[in-house]
Amino acid sequence: MFLRISFLALAALLVSGCANNSPVLGNKNISYGDTKAVETVTNEFGSTDLQMIAESMTRSLAQSGVLQGRPVVQVYDVKNKTSEYIDTREITTSIKTQLMKTGAARFASDNNAMDSQVDQLKLQNQSGLYKKSTVAKTGNMIAAKYRIEGSISSIVKRSEDYKDVFYKFSLQLIDVESGLAEWMDEKEIRKTTER
Amino acid sequence: MRFKLIAVGALALLAGCATPPPPEPGSAASKVVAMGKTKNIVVGAMRVARENGYMTVSVQLSNTSFNNKNMYYRFAWLGPEGFPIAEEESWKSLTLYGEQTRFLPAIAPTPKAVDFRLEINTP
Repeated sequence: MFLRISFLALAALLVSGCANNSPVLGNKNISYGDTKAVETVTNEFGSTDLQMIAESMTRSLAQSGVLQGRPVVQVYDVKNKTSEYIDTREITTSIKTQLMKTGAARFASDNNAMDSQVDQLKLQNQSGLYKKSTVAKTGNMIAAKYRIEGSISSIVKRSEDYKDVFYKFSLQLIDVESGLAEWMDEKEIRKTTER
Repeated sequence: MRFKLIAVGALALLAGCATPPPPEPGSAASKVVAMGKTKNIVVGAMRVARENGYMTVSVQLSNTSFNNKNMYYRFAWLGPEGFPIAEEESWKSLTLYGEQTRFLPAIAPTPKAVDFRLEINTP
């Protein structure tokens, strides 16, 4: 009897010991990292640069006091004047998202979203498919009081021992009616690789 | 007997050294979270103000050694209940030259921030 119980206990122990209760499935060489970590894999434009630029510009603009009364802003794509490929739309998307979260501004449809907006208005008003009381009326879109424009440029220098990249990101807020620049800021980033 | 007393005294002193008193709530030291060794990096005065509704902070950092020091930092912004009120900031890299003192400026991401923590990490 004792032998049988011991055998059962040992079997149960072995089974529970072998049970895999890890929530991970797949290759152990792949792992999720900290999205906010300082990325220095290469000295090309990277995630840390994008995050630092968006953070710095958004906070400077929100705190400047120019955006009183949640004005409507239109964001234009950032001009890439560097020699490398940078998805500048992601910079404006991040700035827009962070400004939206602060509640400092509202955003008009930008150039890329305008086609979809016009298509949807046309579809609702011209197709005859929708119940009239639910159709969005034309002529009610809110025009932007300000527009945001920016650019990113770089100076790259190489020697036998070093590669130095200097990025300069500029952003400005312009009053559409007067054409006056009401706010402007810059963010400079230097990345050096020692070979 | 005397030896025992000395031993007890030494132990008490050691225990005292091992657990420094926690920083006073609200003090500058209570707002710094050091991760890893921060030898030769001294966090000094902190200036806190509210500009156009947003909390702005300036923190004095000094390198007490003759050598350059690299460090990483980020701010965490807290609401009235003491919990973070915005997404985590990205870590930033900073070089302090030998014996240099710098001021780290920061602006809260939202007007709701009432307090902050400065997280410091050294490579």
